[in-house]
Amino acid sequence: MKRILPSMLCLIVMAAVFCCAATPTHAAKIRVVTTLTDLADFSRAVGGDLVEVNSLATGVEDTHGVPMKPSFVPIMNRADLLVLVGFDCEHAFLPALLEASKNPRIQVGTPGYVDCSKGIVPRDVPKSTEHSEGDVHPYGNPHYMLDPVLAKTAIQNIYNALASFDPQHQGEFARNRDAYLASLDAKIAEWEKEVAPLKGVKFVSYHEHWPYFAARFGMEYVGTIEIKPGIDPTARHIEELITMMRAEHVPLVVREPQFPEKVPKRIAEATGAALVTLPIMPGGVPHTETYIKMMDYIIRTMVSALQGRK
Amino acid sequence: MRNLIAVVTLVFLALCPIGLLAQTMEERLNALEETLKEQEKTIKDQQRLIEELKAEMKGLRSPSQPGTAAKEPAQAEQVQEQVKELKEKVDQVAEAQTRTVPSVFNPAIGLVGETVFSYRSKGSDETGSDRPGGFDAFQRSVELNLSASVDPFAKGYAVINASADPRTGEADATVEEAAIQTTSLPWNLTVKAGRFFGEFGRLSYIHDHELPFVNRPLALEEYVGGESRTDGVQVNYLVPISHYVSLTVGAGNQFGGDIPPNDVGQFRQGSNVNYWGRLSSSFDLTPDISIEPGISGLWNPATTDLGGGLPQPDGSTFFERERRLAGMDFTVSYKPLRNNQFQTVTWGTEVLYSDNRYDVYPPDGAFLNRSIGSTGLYSYLAYKFDRQWTVGFLYDVVESPENNRARTSAYSPYITWALSHWDQLRLQYTYTNPNAATGFKPDNAVYLQWAWIIGSHSHGWQER
Repeated sequence: MKRILPSMLCLIVMAAVFCCAATPTHAAKIRVVTTLTDLADFSRAVGGDLVEVNSLATGVEDTHGVPMKPSFVPIMNRADLLVLVGFDCEHAFLPALLEASKNPRIQVGTPGYVDCSKGIVPRDVPKSTEHSEGDVHPYGNPHYMLDPVLAKTAIQNIYNALASFDPQHQGEFARNRDAYLASLDAKIAEWEKEVAPLKGVKFVSYHEHWPYFAARFGMEYVGTIEIKPGIDPTARHIEELITMMRAEHVPLVVREPQFPEKVPKRIAEATGAALVTLPIMPGGVPHTETYIKMMDYIIRTMVSALQGRK
Repeated sequence: MRNLIAVVTLVFLALCPIGLLAQTMEERLNALEETLKEQEKTIKDQQRLIEELKAEMKGLRSPSQPGTAAKEPAQAEQVQEQVKELKEKVDQVAEAQTRTVPSVFNPAIGLVGETVFSYRSKGSDETGSDRPGGFDAFQRSVELNLSASVDPFAKGYAVINASADPRTGEADATVEEAAIQTTSLPWNLTVKAGRFFGEFGRLSYIHDHELPFVNRPLALEEYVGGESRTDGVQVNYLVPISHYVSLTVGAGNQFGGDIPPNDVGQFRQGSNVNYWGRLSSSFDLTPDISIEPGISGLWNPATTDLGGGLPQPDGSTFFERERRLAGMDFTVSYKPLRNNQFQTVTWGTEVLYSDNRYDVYPPDGAFLNRSIGSTGLYSYLAYKFDRQWTVGFLYDVVESPENNRARTSAYSPYITWALSHWDQLRLQYTYTNPNAATGFKPDNAVYLQWAWIIGSHSHGWQER
């Protein structure tokens, strides 16, 4: 037994080494971490089978309020690319997570830090960044993703980052991008027709999520339930908003699902406006798993709410 | 007859298309005439336009007409004036670009103010507090926070606190933190050096105004000495596995309450330095519930002069010779993904065990060397039920590190009203119940804390 044991151990070690060496090496996927789910959808569409995408948000969170979970840190630590909305949208959670990730490949200023706002002209750049204006975004409103035409710029930025990171597969990324953009363009044309009843329609929402959407689809965005970004409404502000909505005949109140229903419902009841709950990123409400499904949902819900009101 | 009918039919059939053709031809001719007329009109319009343009060009080439002579120089003068103004503005902008702006490299600056109004039923001689009994207003913090990148490899930050001195009331500025921290080291490492709050436990490295309640828990006050301030170096390592595990080790010549540097003017051995470490992790029990456990340790093998002697109620005097502190903590958080800005529940608990070694000089003069084991813990539950409102309860208990029979416990319900991220009021009631061995008396206290921030603020990792 004593003679056999060393030989057996030797065999086991050799077998283990053989197994390790003989295991075919699979080309590692590009590890992409996105802050929000729309960016994850775009990254999967452009990257195809060549990427492994993780989103910090699941879709139901507020875009500014994704919880800083320690479990995000190892995911970010191994990431090749970090895809974010930009315009300071993620200021409440991303800087601390980035520091904790200890990943030099995705820090600000590196090629792995993919700011999708590049090339987008921001709306509502504040004249003052004083906190008296609330939790303002100094670079402008960051919710451009709700305009599908501007979303195409984000897709292009993701393509640029992937092509730069893995030039060998640039052709495949380009094909994927073109195919996705073609399907998105077709949907945009469809949405343009569908929104006809919404043209010129005034609406308010809880947070300033909708100026880009309104501009794209010809709606009129007239106010927010929050008194200032990140600041809950006061009774006086609610009364003023109701008065304005009555005077302006505002027929729609939009509530983003992460905000409580009580105040939007009260405003809708007081003004006779229709109350709709709309997602701000894919997964925000059921049946909105992709960006296109989410936009479908938003437009159809708005149109049907308006028609139902008539 | 038949032939006649046939001939008539044939003639009719022959003439019909001709008639139709004639009708079509006439229509076409009419249409052509109209087109011709339109084209003639277009040609006439174009000719007229050409004539007008010719006249205009002629006018431009020839000397001015008497009627427009006065008007044109005036217009030219106006244009020249506008060009001049525009040029001046462009020059101003260009000049501004070249001007030196000393503030352009300024770091991010924020200022924190924190005032604590209180009413305590007992005076400081009966509570051991450095604040008086009765009504009190205490400007606890005026913190100036500065931070910026040092270079591509590190960032620097400083926290300068000018809080009021408990005895004189005068603002006494101290450097609470001033440290450099690497940002691009390989192997998941971060090194911090300078003066900073060492990572021991869960709340000891958090500034007063960031605590979830008004006062620092008794166990941290007794065993750590308040905030875990140190002058030293700290290395943090993120274990490269798919699960979050963070390891921190550090060394410094003072830590928390061990404020006076060891062996001033003497040769400092490695054994006179404080060493600490912390291992922490996190588990997502559900998408909404997570638990973060951690263990910490602090050791100073030879604390030869910790603030001099510690007089005891029995008349003996203690000199700390070795500092040994161990801690275990966990934080359970319920943060619903959807509305975590409006509803959260946090349960945090930290247990500390102190096993310091002392040189004891009793009144009779017989020298003793004693190790004293003592325990303290705090546990708090905070429920945020609205974006602005949080209610909570803190339970505190601690044994004196020099006398584990001297025990103090405290109960503190509190309510926090956060008007915004930068403006917060907190009302807290605290019943402190020291036992007889402490030499102090039970105390009822009501605190109203008002904390605010102006300027730059960042959401740090400790805010999670």
